[in-house]
Amino acid sequence: MILRVGLCIGLTTEMVQLLKDNGIRTVLDLVSSDLETIARKCSLSYKALVAIRRVLLAQFSSFPVNGADLYEELKSSTAILSTGSKSLDKLLDAGLYTGEVTELTGAPGSGKTQVCLHIAANISESLKQRVLYIDSTGGFTATRLLQLLQRRTENEEEQVEALQRIQVVRVFDAYKVLDVLHEFRSTVAQEVVSASAPVKMVVVDSVSAVIYPLLGSRQPDGMAFMMHVARELKTLAKELGVAVVVTNHVTRDASCGQVKPALGRSWSFVPSTRVLLENNKESCGETSNRRIASLTKSPRQPVGIQVELDFESWEPAEDAC
Amino acid sequence: MEQQRELGSFSLPPSLRAKLVAAGFQTAQEVLDVGPCELSKEIGISKQEALEILQVIKGDSHGNERGSGNTVRKYTALELLEEEQVQGFIVTFCSALDDILGGGVPLMKVTEICGAPGVGKTQLCMQLAVDVQFPECFGGLAGEAVFIDTEGSFMVDRVVDMASACVQHCHLIAEMHPEEGHQAALETFSLENILSHIYYFRCHDYVELLAQVYLLSDFLSEHAKVRLVVIDGVAFPFRHDFEDLSLRTRLLNGLAQQLITIANDHTLAVVLTNQMTTRIGQNCSSLVPALGDSWGHAATIRVILHWENKQRLATLYKSPSQKESTVPYCVTPHGFRDVQLPSPALAENKTNPRKRPRVEEQ
Repeated sequence: MILRVGLCIGLTTEMVQLLKDNGIRTVLDLVSSDLETIARKCSLSYKALVAIRRVLLAQFSSFPVNGADLYEELKSSTAILSTGSKSLDKLLDAGLYTGEVTELTGAPGSGKTQVCLHIAANISESLKQRVLYIDSTGGFTATRLLQLLQRRTENEEEQVEALQRIQVVRVFDAYKVLDVLHEFRSTVAQEVVSASAPVKMVVVDSVSAVIYPLLGSRQPDGMAFMMHVARELKTLAKELGVAVVVTNHVTRDASCGQVKPALGRSWSFVPSTRVLLENNKESCGETSNRRIASLTKSPRQPVGIQVELDFESWEPAEDAC
Repeated sequence: MEQQRELGSFSLPPSLRAKLVAAGFQTAQEVLDVGPCELSKEIGISKQEALEILQVIKGDSHGNERGSGNTVRKYTALELLEEEQVQGFIVTFCSALDDILGGGVPLMKVTEICGAPGVGKTQLCMQLAVDVQFPECFGGLAGEAVFIDTEGSFMVDRVVDMASACVQHCHLIAEMHPEEGHQAALETFSLENILSHIYYFRCHDYVELLAQVYLLSDFLSEHAKVRLVVIDGVAFPFRHDFEDLSLRTRLLNGLAQQLITIANDHTLAVVLTNQMTTRIGQNCSSLVPALGDSWGHAATIRVILHWENKQRLATLYKSPSQKESTVPYCVTPHGFRDVQLPSPALAENKTNPRKRPRVEEQ
C-alpha cells in the first residue's frame, strides 16, 4: 500500500513528500524502518510518526473473532452438498462442503470431468442450486449432462430448468480464468438482494491445464500466478460460501514411478480435500466404467479410504477394500 | 472489491509489473488513483506504457470493454446443449467408429488419434479432410480443411482416391433418392473443388509448428468455412532435440491450450495424431501414447488405433460423453471404412495391388 494523503489521520501532503524523498514510499517501508532515523532524516516529529504508525497498524490488522461466534457462523453458513453418489458421499463425509476447495486428480481418462458433470447435474437437479462451470479444456459436454439428467428425472421441464441453473464459461488461458473468478466474486458481492438463488458450486476443469503453460524454471512469475489463482479460489469459497471443485493432472514420480498430483508441493496446500481417481486395475486391458476413488487428503476423514464408482449407472457398487 | 485485485494477477508485461511492484504498487486501486502522467513519472516509464497498464486494469474492472468481451461470455448449459445439437459431426465413413464417437468427430473439441506406424492414422486424417466437405444436403458440414503435416506423410494421390470415392458415393445417393438440391450440390462437389479446399501446411520442426499454430487464428478468420484442423504428427517434432524436458512440457501444454482456443473460437474440430512409445514398468512394459502423461490431458477425446492379429481396431480411450469401447475398421482403396462381413469385399482388398501386404510386426 502506497503512502498517500487521506490514508490515515495525521498524514499530510508535506509528510508524504518528505518521506518519499527519503525513500519511504509504502506503508511497509514506514512500518519496518527505524522511526528515530526517519525522524532525523526527514526532520519530522518523532511523536507524529509513532502516532501514524500506530494508526496504520491498527488499520491493517485484523480483528480477533470469538471461537463461539465462529462456530455459530459455521453452523448457519456451511452447507454440505450431496454429490448424488452414495459412495462418493461416503468418501467425502456426506458431500462437498461449502467454503472449501475440493480437488479431483487423475490420469487422462480417469473420469475427472465425468465426476464434475455428475456432481453439477445432482446439485442443479436434486438440490436446485446454481452452478458455475469454468471449462478450460473443452471437456464440458452438454449432451452428456443431459444424459445424466435424464437418468434422474423424466420430466423434461425439470431437465430444462436444471440445465439453466448451470452456467458455463469456456476460457482457455489462466488470466481469463482469473478474470472470470474476479468478475464472479464482484457481481455476487454487488447483488445485495439477489434476484436468483446464489451459486453454490464453482467447478474449474481443469486448473492445471491453464497453469502448466506458465510454469517453468525460467518463469518465476508462473509460481506467483499460481498462488494468485489459489488465493482467489480459497477466498471465493470462504467469502461467498460456495463449494469449489477443481481438477488437476497427475505426474509420475521419477524415482518410484508412483503417480502424484501435478502442480507440486505449493499447490498441495490449496485444496482441503483431494481425491485421486484411477482406472480399476483388475480390469486392466479391458476398458470399463468402474473407477477407484481414493482420498489422499481430508480434514475430516482418515486418508486412504477407497470407494468404487460406476460411471454407467452411478449406483454404488460393492465397496472395495 | 474488484479494485483490491492484486497487480500480479493481471496480464501485464513482466518488466512493467516488476517496476510497479518496486515502486510499491500492490493493488489495482492504487494504480487507478494516479493518472497515466503521474504513473509514468512515478515509475519511470513512457506515457504510452502507463496508458497501456491502465487500460489492462480498467478493461478488466469495468465489465470487459475490450474486444475480448465475447470470449468470456457465460452460457447456460441449455444454450450449449442447443448449440451442440445443431453443430453436427465430421463422419469418418466407418459407421462403427462414428457410433462410438457419438456421431463422428465433434466440432469444438480436440481429438487425438494415437497408433503405431502404418495402422492408419494419416489415412483417417486424410479421410476426415475429405469428409468435412460433404455437402449439407447429404448431412455433411460443407466445410474446408487445414492440414498441417510434420512428418511429410500426406499423400495427395490417396486424397484423390478418397475424394473420388466420396463424390461417387454422393452420386449414388442422388440417384437412389432424387431430391431437389442434390443435383445443385453435386455440381460443386467435385474432385477439384475438394482438393482446392484442403489447405496444406508443411512444418519441419517444432518451431515451425508452434509458429503455424499461433498464426492459424488469422488464417481461419480469412477462411471462415474451415471446420477441421488436422495436425498429422504432433509428436514427431517434439520427440528429439529436446534437452530441457520441462521446456517441452510447457510448450506442449501451451500448444494444447492454443488448439482448444482455436477449436472454440472458430467452431471447428481439431484432430491430432500421436505416436506410441514403450513404457517400461517394473515387471512389464506396455505400449502407450507418446509425449508423456501430462500431454494425455491435452486432447478431449483420445482414440487409439491398433492391430489385433490381422484386424485393425479402434479403441475410444477417453471421451467426456461416450463410453470407452473398441470397434474394428479397415482401410480400403476408397479410404477408411467399416469392416465388410461378406467376403467379396475382403477378397477385393487382397487382390488390390495398391495395398501393402500386411504382416504382423513385433
